[in-house]
Amino acid sequence: MQVVLQLYSEPLQKFRLAGQGLYDGPQPSALSDCERLAKYFDPLPFWYPPLEGSRAFRGESGSAARSIADEYPLHAITQRPMMMYHSWDSQNVWLRQILSENFLYMNRRTAGELGLSDYDWVWVESHRGKVRCQLKTMEGVEAHTVWTWNAVGKQPGAWGLSPDASEATAGFLLNHLISELLPAGDADERRLTNSDPVTGQAAWFDLRVKVTKCAPGETGIWPVFETATPLPHDRGYRPRIWRYHAHKAVKETAS
Amino acid sequence: MKLGLVIDLDTCVGCHACATACKEWNASSRVSGALSDYEPFGAEPSGVWFNRVRHYEVGEYPANKTINFPMSCLHCEDADCVTVCPTGASYKRDDGIVLVDQDKCMGCNLCAWACPYGARELDEATGTMKKCTLCVDRVYDKMLPPEDRQPACVLACPTHARLFGDFDDPQSEVSRVTAERGGFALMPELGLKPVNRYLPPRQPKPVMGDDEARRLLDRGLASLASPVIRR
Repeated sequence: MQVVLQLYSEPLQKFRLAGQGLYDGPQPSALSDCERLAKYFDPLPFWYPPLEGSRAFRGESGSAARSIADEYPLHAITQRPMMMYHSWDSQNVWLRQILSENFLYMNRRTAGELGLSDYDWVWVESHRGKVRCQLKTMEGVEAHTVWTWNAVGKQPGAWGLSPDASEATAGFLLNHLISELLPAGDADERRLTNSDPVTGQAAWFDLRVKVTKCAPGETGIWPVFETATPLPHDRGYRPRIWRYHAHKAVKETAS
Repeated sequence: MKLGLVIDLDTCVGCHACATACKEWNASSRVSGALSDYEPFGAEPSGVWFNRVRHYEVGEYPANKTINFPMSCLHCEDADCVTVCPTGASYKRDDGIVLVDQDKCMGCNLCAWACPYGARELDEATGTMKKCTLCVDRVYDKMLPPEDRQPACVLACPTHARLFGDFDDPQSEVSRVTAERGGFALMPELGLKPVNRYLPPRQPKPVMGDDEARRLLDRGLASLASPVIRR
């Protein structure tokens, strides 16, 4: 058996040549675009550190540039709950019995070093903004990474749920922390998109954060949003007992 | 006959597909009737399930492992839930399946208290006890193609971590796999002779330390591939 693996990508090399000014065709004019093409459109596979963490950024105007990786030492990633793949709306009443709220999961030893413990309310902050949520510690996460279930947090009233559903009162999203653009190193620099240079895929997994314990009395998720306007013709009726038939009932067949 | 399940704790990824497929099939079954959900859109949704998946961690980082543990009726040979039933609603069939006759059950809860595995759930809407039927309305249904005459959970499992078969037959896949992999029963010391078997997780490989990774890089990554690639 022969397996052919194409390691060298000629289309990528063409982009790189364009970045280097050696391509007989359209070429970018901005220096930052040229650099991006020359560096990341390598025709051979290579590894580079996540872009967000390798940037410098300025907080308030006038302050000195700081390294994102130094200021925000933890990687933050999300995982789509497996049971929610390939599901459809009518299954929500079942699936939300399995998972209807999420926590920020952190390595137990790392949490200890930061003085954090299970069910602490914490601020999770990136260069873009911050959210408040509840922490849980575990062993099964890399020491410099925190994670949570993706897309569990919802606006109150969304998905036809009661506004006091735990998705709205305890669930949260990391989306508020993820910037569309990479932080600007210089004030006059054109902001680059926070995405994979080649595919344009949004770089959610490049997110860097710091996690700090909330002040006493600071509890509850943040930000909190207004309850969503009901859909047309939704008069708010929700059955308190749900007996759901997924298919035509069958009879027991005697053995 | 001794019908039951083998559940492989090594390959189970904890996706709850078995639990959801079970709910989907059995919610429409005439064996148990609909499986009720309570406050399904509210702050504390709950409901009747025949199969629930728990998640545990063992060991300390980085030598840790997550164990996903699906739990349903074990169809005990000496089922206490059947013994204690005052109306005869709970019964054990010749093929080993433990069922509840919904017309005889009065919802007294004695069977749920007798079951040490927590495998029974009272449907508050009908006031009757419900439990895993091993999809008795699938496994004998000659209208289904032979490969589909299996419990919904077994068919749904994406990692094939669940097997269905006859433990009385030493040649059956469930008997063979149980013998090969050291399949074990849950809490056998209670003497109820549960039929279902769980296959133990394999030992996790230790995570490569920095020194070991450095040595590998010094040797060249090709040293990993060379034994299997013909150039």
